[in-house]
Amino acid sequence: MKRTDDIIDSLVKDLKPVAPRALERRLALDLVVTLAVSLLLMLTILGLRVDMSEALMLPVFWIKSAYNALLAVVALLAVYHLARPDGSEGRFFVLIAVIFLAMAVAAAIQLMMSPGETYRVLILGSSALHCPFLIFAFALPVLAGNIWWLRRAAPTDLRLTGLIAGIAAGAAGAWVYSWFCTENGMPFVLIWYSLGILMTGLIGALIGPRLLRW
Amino acid sequence: MTIAHSEEALKTLMLLSLDGDEAAYRRLLNALRVLLVGYYSRRMGAATRADMEDLVQETLLALHSRRATYDRNRPFTSWFFSIARYKLIDHHRGRGGRMMAEVELGEDFESGFSEDAVTARMDVERLLDSLPAKQQEIIRQVKLEGQSVADTASRTGQSESAVKVGIHRGLKALAEKLRGET
Repeated sequence: MKRTDDIIDSLVKDLKPVAPRALERRLALDLVVTLAVSLLLMLTILGLRVDMSEALMLPVFWIKSAYNALLAVVALLAVYHLARPDGSEGRFFVLIAVIFLAMAVAAAIQLMMSPGETYRVLILGSSALHCPFLIFAFALPVLAGNIWWLRRAAPTDLRLTGLIAGIAAGAAGAWVYSWFCTENGMPFVLIWYSLGILMTGLIGALIGPRLLRW
Repeated sequence: MTIAHSEEALKTLMLLSLDGDEAAYRRLLNALRVLLVGYYSRRMGAATRADMEDLVQETLLALHSRRATYDRNRPFTSWFFSIARYKLIDHHRGRGGRMMAEVELGEDFESGFSEDAVTARMDVERLLDSLPAKQQEIIRQVKLEGQSVADTASRTGQSESAVKVGIHRGLKALAEKLRGET
């Protein structure tokens, strides 16, 4: 066994200055790259939604986009804090509940303002079955990036960090997918998008303890 | 050799180390090594010496490879003991959770390294400063770092009974000082 003195010697010899905000810069770089990969994949495989020019005028399109973007930002901030050994998830679960409830209110309002025969379209749309899986697919590059970044950081609650890193990736993937998806139902987004995000989160929680150990 | 183990002193060393100051880094690692021995020996009752040495080394290596995760605006000791705690739990987990119960028991002590405890510790350091250097040193080693009386005696070149008496007198002086202050 090596002596502690020798280890200290070798560590001192190996010391290189650490730039302030080195951790943050790596995260930003990882995010830009993995989001770009995910967007490129979406554009080449699926393409933008066919009615893009009209969609840009629809409030529902932007609510859908904001829902995913907000979830992604909140989850990423929590991951950023959890990456430090003395960090915690803060108010992540409260914030995420608030965002989800706001979306539920939007969905309820849309349903109340619509005639009963449109409910099927607003809730199930035409893509309910594959939507969560496509979200998961576009989340994968971001999830890989998050894990890659976390492996060089020092999270101490591996399952929780994995879960939230997965939710962040899922929300980012959902945001990417929302540029293709033609569904205009808020209940659809509330159910199927959230399901895709949750699925990615659960995968994160599953692989976290294994991959994030240090 | 007297090493100041206060939050302030350690944080200063850490900041210098992050900028690449090798001498500061060596002092920091040597100080932390002493703190770790105290920390782990209090939490690993039946563990062998080799086990503990392993953990101390692993923790220092982890500190080295994860040093970018230290936020310069936050307390150093809470960051550092979070790593120590993680390594302790990981160590026990690696042995099939055989000693998990012991870790759970340790939680109470662990939470002692919150920011409150760090400032409390700084108060203790300030109090200690008023004592003669010799008493300061043995109280720090035995009472704060959890080293044994025998180890401290051989390190400071005193007899065990002299160490015990020194601690007793030092604590009594501190108690009187506190009583006088309130």
